[in-house]
Amino acid sequence: MEEGVGVVNEEIWALGAESVILRVRRWGRTLIEKRRRAKPYLLPEIDSLLRRQRTNRECRMLNRVRRLGVRAPTVYAVDWSSYSILMDFVQGEQLKVIAQTCSDDDLMDLCKEFGRMLGLLHTGGVVHGDPTTSNIIVDPQRRLWLVDFGLAEWNATVEMMAVDLHLVRRTLETTHWDRQEIMLDAVLQGYWDQMASSADEILSRMEEIRERGRYH
Amino acid sequence: MCLGLEGTAHSFGAGVVTDDGKVLSNVWDMLSPREGGIHPREASRHHAELGPSIVKQAIEKAGVQPQDVDLIAFSRGPGLGPCLRVTATIARTLSLHLGVPLVGVNHCVAHVEIGCLESGFQDPVTVYVSGGNTQIIAFAGQRFRTFGETLDIAIGNMLDTLGREIGMRFPAGPTIEREARRGERYYQLPYSVKGMDLSYSGMLTAAKRLYQEGIPIPDICHSVQETAFGMLAEIAERAIAHTKKRELLLTGGVARNNRLTEILKGVAQRHSARFHRVSPPLAGDQGAMIAWTGILQFKAGDHLQVPESHVLPKWRTDEQDIIWRRG
Ligand SMILES: Nc1ncnc2c1ncn2[C@@H]1O[C@H](COP(=O)(O)OP(=O)(O)OP(=O)(O)O)[C@@H](O)[C@H]1O
Ligand SMILES: Nc1ncnc2c1ncn2[C@@H]1O[C@H](COP(=O)(O)OP(=O)(O)O)[C@@H](O)[C@H]1O
Ligand SMILES: [Mg+2]
Repeated sequence: MEEGVGVVNEEIWALGAESVILRVRRWGRTLIEKRRRAKPYLLPEIDSLLRRQRTNRECRMLNRVRRLGVRAPTVYAVDWSSYSILMDFVQGEQLKVIAQTCSDDDLMDLCKEFGRMLGLLHTGGVVHGDPTTSNIIVDPQRRLWLVDFGLAEWNATVEMMAVDLHLVRRTLETTHWDRQEIMLDAVLQGYWDQMASSADEILSRMEEIRERGRYH
Repeated sequence: MCLGLEGTAHSFGAGVVTDDGKVLSNVWDMLSPREGGIHPREASRHHAELGPSIVKQAIEKAGVQPQDVDLIAFSRGPGLGPCLRVTATIARTLSLHLGVPLVGVNHCVAHVEIGCLESGFQDPVTVYVSGGNTQIIAFAGQRFRTFGETLDIAIGNMLDTLGREIGMRFPAGPTIEREARRGERYYQLPYSVKGMDLSYSGMLTAAKRLYQEGIPIPDICHSVQETAFGMLAEIAERAIAHTKKRELLLTGGVARNNRLTEILKGVAQRHSARFHRVSPPLAGDQGAMIAWTGILQFKAGDHLQVPESHVLPKWRTDEQDIIWRRG
């Protein structure tokens, strides 16, 4: 059995693309342990580099983004032998799931807040790197929390921020096709409220990126 | 039974498929481009010159008479305008001449549908990798949606460009695969995944630099494959984790690569998903996939009148309502 951050009582909470998310009891509290297990189908050199880099990045980013005013789990410990991060458990539901049932008004409020949070990150020079609705948790007080910072980067350029927005649009198109227009409008509204006129250049770059990878 | 014509880029193909999905024939010819990729005009001339005889061969090989064909399907897009127009012209002529309906098929959708026919998959995440495309496609809300794609160049194009640079003939994919098997050392290359999208241009530049520095070709090929396929595996994995689908389909010309296949098998296993690699004759660009998708489309009530059958060079995968699937 793989050892994590010395945890005994654990339950698999989610299987991510990169990691196993375990819900654990420790210090009388419920915490999350995100463990990046080895992937035997990848070249070991690449696999271990990615596991190390992403674990490192995620820890540093989780701390950094909270200082920018974005809600994200607090990190308590890291185990570099199993590439595990011990962090707060955020009680709530993925935005992806909530969006399937909530009212239009409710959804627009949530998306506006999502846009504002992205704006806060970008203002601080940080891009999330994987801003899908799976990586946003809505808590019982209807507050948004961002998770999954393994692909995040700092010293963000216009291009990097535009890619971030492009990815938001992509997730709305593929996963929320029935309400993608109102969701995108609300996200961009919230983003604009935060970024003001510096959003213009980023938004037009987003359109440009959309046209690029297209056939030939 | 349907005759399908494929001609979006440098290959022209014709295939005959029965209504219950038997591929009776599948004939194609590829114009091998000289230096610098595909020339749209040359490719369209190739299709115009060889098209009619390829169609004839397809019908003969199927062991049927032209009058047995009761549907004509053609690749309507996306692709190079001149190539699409030649193919459409041949299709319209056949449709009028035989007095049978005409159906316009999306090339990328056809790659997925022929893969589903071969594998028996109902609802896969598809990794479609070829000279011109790198896409992760899955069905959702009556459309095939592109969950991820390249932000710059396609994987096959990247391999072929690198190959040309290091003295390999076109297509370089198979040669790179062979060389990579002898590679021993891994040289780190830019690994660029953005959400479910990826980018290959930085890696290509760095790989060319390795060559200039005199790194042995097998090591370069090994490093390129492991990096490029690792990135692809990651976005495929993100799509599976996000959609929670239980089937993974690999198709397109680059699907011939055994190392890529092995990696994606591993991905499928980690997520308890079934895996299928489309067999080479059905994975590349060919007419059978157009014919089969044409049948599905026609049965669901979709066909074109000749005057409105103009080609769609920029037809995106997610722009067509998939009326023959439910979900
Ligand atoms: N064993 C292999 N390993 C890697 N790449 C391969 C292998 N065999 C073929 N390829 C690549 O596959 C590509 C050809 O793909 P395909 O036959 O689907 O044609 P295409 O015109 O590129 O397709 P499309 O129009 O769908 O984009 C070339 O780039 C070639 O190098
Ligand atoms: N701290 C947390 N609290 C509650 N749920 C979490 C937490 N971290 C992750 N999750 C859940 O687990 C899922 C996968 O975690 P994530 O960090 O996104 O992993 P991956 O990088 O593998 O995608 C998330 O979509 C989220 O629903
Ligand atoms: Mg995630």
